[in-house]
Amino acid sequence: MESSWLRALVVLALVVVAGAIFTRKLLLVYRLIRLGAGPVPLAPPGERLRDLVAQVLGHRKVLRRPLAGVLHLFIFWGFLVLLTTIIQAMGEAFSPGWTLPVIGQPPLLAALQDLFIALVLIGVGMALWMRLVSRPRRLEGQDRRGAYLILGFIGGIMITLLLSRAGQIVLESPAWAPGAALSGFVAGAIAGAPRAVVRGVFEVAWWGHLLIILIFLTWIPEGKHLHLITLVPNILLKKARPRGALAPIDIEQAEHLGISSIEHSTWKDMLDAFACMECGRCVEVCPANATGKELDPRRLHTDLRTHLTRVGSARLAGGEAADAPALVGGVFSEAFLWQCLTCGACVEECPAANDHIDKIVGMRRHLVMEEARVPDTMGDALRSLEARGHPFRGAGLSRTAWTAGVEVKTLADGGRAEWLLWVGCASALNERNHGSLRALVRVLQRAGVEAAILGDEEACTGDPARRMGNEYLFQQLAQQNIETLNRYGVRKILTACPHCYNTFKNEYPQFGGQYEVWHHTQLLARLVEERRLAPSEAVPLTVTFHDPCYLGRHNGEYDAPRRVLAAIPGVRTVEMAQCRERGFCCGAGGGLYWVEDRVGQRINHVRTDHATATGAQVVATACPFCMLMLEDGVAAREAKIRPMDVAELLGRSLAGGSAERSGG
Amino acid sequence: MDIIVCLKQVVDPELPARDFAIDPATRRQVREGRPLVLSTYDENALEVALQMKDHQGAKVTALTIAPQATVGDTVRLALAMGADEAVVIDDPRSPELSGPARARMLAAVIRKIGRYDLVLTGCESADLVERLIAPLLAEELGAACVTFVARIDAADGPLVVRRQADEGYHVVEARLPAVLSVTSDEANRPRLPKVKDIVTAKRKPVQIWTPGDLGSMADDGGVEVRDVAIPQRTGKCEFLTGDPAQQAEALALRLRELKLL
Amino acid sequence: MPGILVVAATAEGALSRSSLELVGGARALDASLGSGVSAALLGHGLGSTGAAEALHQHGVATVYRVDHPALTAGQSDAYLAAAEQVARTAKPDVVLVGADTVGREVAPRLAHRLAGALVTECTELAVEGGAVVVRRQAYGGRALATLVVRGRPAVLSVKPRSLDAPEPAPVAGSVVDVDAQIDPNALPTRVREVLREKSEVGLEDAQVVVSGGRGLGGPDGFKMIEELAAMLGGAVGSSRPPADAGWVPISWQIGQTGKTVRPALYVAVGISGATQHVAGMAGSRTIVAINRDPEAPIFGVAHLGLVGDYREIIPPLIARIKELKAR
Repeated sequence: MESSWLRALVVLALVVVAGAIFTRKLLLVYRLIRLGAGPVPLAPPGERLRDLVAQVLGHRKVLRRPLAGVLHLFIFWGFLVLLTTIIQAMGEAFSPGWTLPVIGQPPLLAALQDLFIALVLIGVGMALWMRLVSRPRRLEGQDRRGAYLILGFIGGIMITLLLSRAGQIVLESPAWAPGAALSGFVAGAIAGAPRAVVRGVFEVAWWGHLLIILIFLTWIPEGKHLHLITLVPNILLKKARPRGALAPIDIEQAEHLGISSIEHSTWKDMLDAFACMECGRCVEVCPANATGKELDPRRLHTDLRTHLTRVGSARLAGGEAADAPALVGGVFSEAFLWQCLTCGACVEECPAANDHIDKIVGMRRHLVMEEARVPDTMGDALRSLEARGHPFRGAGLSRTAWTAGVEVKTLADGGRAEWLLWVGCASALNERNHGSLRALVRVLQRAGVEAAILGDEEACTGDPARRMGNEYLFQQLAQQNIETLNRYGVRKILTACPHCYNTFKNEYPQFGGQYEVWHHTQLLARLVEERRLAPSEAVPLTVTFHDPCYLGRHNGEYDAPRRVLAAIPGVRTVEMAQCRERGFCCGAGGGLYWVEDRVGQRINHVRTDHATATGAQVVATACPFCMLMLEDGVAAREAKIRPMDVAELLGRSLAGGSAERSGG
Repeated sequence: MDIIVCLKQVVDPELPARDFAIDPATRRQVREGRPLVLSTYDENALEVALQMKDHQGAKVTALTIAPQATVGDTVRLALAMGADEAVVIDDPRSPELSGPARARMLAAVIRKIGRYDLVLTGCESADLVERLIAPLLAEELGAACVTFVARIDAADGPLVVRRQADEGYHVVEARLPAVLSVTSDEANRPRLPKVKDIVTAKRKPVQIWTPGDLGSMADDGGVEVRDVAIPQRTGKCEFLTGDPAQQAEALALRLRELKLL
Repeated sequence: MPGILVVAATAEGALSRSSLELVGGARALDASLGSGVSAALLGHGLGSTGAAEALHQHGVATVYRVDHPALTAGQSDAYLAAAEQVARTAKPDVVLVGADTVGREVAPRLAHRLAGALVTECTELAVEGGAVVVRRQAYGGRALATLVVRGRPAVLSVKPRSLDAPEPAPVAGSVVDVDAQIDPNALPTRVREVLREKSEVGLEDAQVVVSGGRGLGGPDGFKMIEELAAMLGGAVGSSRPPADAGWVPISWQIGQTGKTVRPALYVAVGISGATQHVAGMAGSRTIVAINRDPEAPIFGVAHLGLVGDYREIIPPLIARIKELKAR
């Protein structure tokens, strides 16, 4: 191949200019991120590396959407492989005949390169198909022009590459040519043209290729393609916290409570914002968004990014962006913030490993603790929590009302047992859940498991307060409960409420409360498998299981309840389309049990429809909140399906009848 | 403007029926182990005072009579909501005080505080529902009195308030000083305290006085509580039978018997 | 002349039903005490209304009449001054005041001025062993207190509608005109205006609440509910489905995510009784449920249950209540 000092000089100049623009933009991003607060404790390195391999190289989450996943996999791996062609081209520009060190330029590499040129082009085609024909909902609201431009860049890079390779084959017959089938095919098509024309095609393609790459490079640090750079650090800098846990704040010391301005966010929040690729997977799985509400989890990151860039740039320049809207109430409306169920569907789905819940709860913390602005009925729940230790204003029941007809001791009465059965307000103070509790106690007694309760000494774990943003009240309740538990020397906690489960397991350790915590379905599964329970009576029902978010996504327990159901003779299980990781919240999470769901469709009605669509007779669940929401949904839809707790179903199948009529 | 808000601490009116009990010795509700809250309408009264403070400036003093050992949360809540200071009359016998005795004691404290333009309180306490504190305070203090005030229409010139009445509202003009009892209204829904204010409330001044500081308080008032009975609920719903007209007839008569007509 | 004095405050000069109820209560006490019943008839333009005659007709011998232009609707200070003047003239042992808008302000202040004993919001009056014994609700209706009133004069305010209006028992009576010497300019409060709005009495404060649910079938059903509520002097509420469906304003919703009410009487019509709703009304003193489904959970919290179609039950109920109230 021909070369000259002029070519080298032009290439060098272009690379330097593009590189400078790129670096300058990237540096701004870096400085913006550094505006965030720290430190952020990080997960163990092994875990972070594992995630990197699975999510980046393996595309684990991306591949959950087959079309988009495969096309992205093609493009991603295509770029990794074709990086070799770029390096090769650059090298040749400066030193003719240069080849990659060690590897050289064997036909096998050329074959691989050609394969990926084809795959990337197929990927671009699939992407166009998706945007023009199949049009999934999640892509609405994405920056369309940006997306087409990017696809144009990628397609352009591939076509120019292909043409320059074809030209090179025709002009120089390089040693690698036999491997490059696709390039060879194109070369065959142009080989008949005059040499000068081929030369022209080659030059245009070669320079075009270089220019598009460099323009693309300068574009990367703006918009969604920044994830090419930010995604790897975002995954490598994963927070050291279980999914279900929120970070505590030191109320006495903190200068601000929650997030009302960019500098209150952590640098990780900001990195998240820059790592968002706007794929909209979060939008697609968000139950609030799916039912027509304002909440849009993608906007949480994209709008944060825009706001951060605007306000942060001004601040870096030593000023203030005077006309920028307020973060809370401006960039994000209060309605937007109060519609989040903290169900974690977006977090589970996000290929960039972003955390939405922290940011929303952070802004709620500001609203509740600094502004005392909270939806009225949530405020009532908070007041009730404060005054009487439970959020169920108007509940005329005592915490032990459910024990009528079963034998349960309280620790105060000298009850000593292996397990503390933590009842939880949602179970104790709502009659519908009393049957589930009694079924559970009877089943445990059949298995010879001893469990005692705290009775009136129980107070709410604080989960609703924490998710509503009242960290102060949460910490008070946590301290009070830890004191009570430690006074009785409690070590093993069993609970039928996934919210209590999550709080004990993932959040109380933040305050020194270390317990062995089991959800009732986990213990029931164990008892069945150890044959301490022998479900023998047939329960001839078709059952679909509704995954409680705080058992499933937040704690990864999808199997225990299903193992219990599978052990019940006669039960035939069917799954809803939205199950396990894709489970659809009942509508009660995030403290939203206490506000009326009046925008768009009701989440619990939609969830009831999912269950009804399976044709099941029973929708089983394992959470007292889900139970109340499903009962409500079934009543509203006048559906035939019946919500039951897993323990109630198991109780029915134990010979000798541990069952009672309940619910309905 | 100086505003004094009289607050009463009561046993949670939402207490489950099982926990509601009368102490045969005092003939008062058993308080031990029960959650104590601010009496419902007192929070509305406090909110009205705080809104006046927000809009035109006022010094708001929260005043309560309660055993000091149990009073903490109530007074702290008032301070956290925005009251400037608090005065607590530490009286272990206070839960047993009769309404008139309580009013006399409050009046003695208010006279001792000295500076006030307005005294606010809830229109009734959530426990005894006597509705007499504001009128008695007005007499004791020689102040104007309006009860069941839903909202304050004007306070910059003469005080104009809206009193809830059987037939609608009375727009009442009152001289200062005045004692107002406040009922709930859309406009006086009690605010939630901000956490920052909860924290700073811990540093706000709370004066603790004993009844002895107030001179003698002759009690009784010539009324003796003979008995406080809890009507037993039979538990089951009683179904009225017959055709619709007969059921309607039976229901009308039952409502009359229950003095609900 | 010691005895029982009924404070009959009139707004437009005519005797009110609640004043008659007080007369009924006074006569019942008098049957044991035997000290005579007199009345303080307070108002303006009383000469032409026949109010004094009506009192004589119902067994009140002596009527102390204060006729003054300041005695108009809501002028508590004027009524207080007039009542005080009469009480100082009549020197009664027992004074009965209706616990209405004015009476709630007058009774405690009158007791204070007369240095008497005071019990407010009585629902029953009796004489036991020569002593005046009264009953009143306490603790939001959860308990009934019985009090012995020894102090004299005993000023008792009586909750409207808790005593029966008496049968006529005509006596030959006299009218004593009392000059109350009220200086309207010296009164510390003045009613500028009476706003006769359709009572916006907050749902949360209403003593009677009639609520409708999905079972009403549509917004039209609420017309019947509103009529019944008006007849009972109460407010209208709803469970969630009507509020959702837009049949009624959202502000009417009672329940966990709506308002909480604890009235003396709660009538649930066509409401199934979901936990959501029950949380907002379970504290009501008397709960009446009307529902077609005998298995509806609302009957689990109701005291009185009527199984049937509300369209067939409510019209005769309204008619019957009207009759009973007219008596």
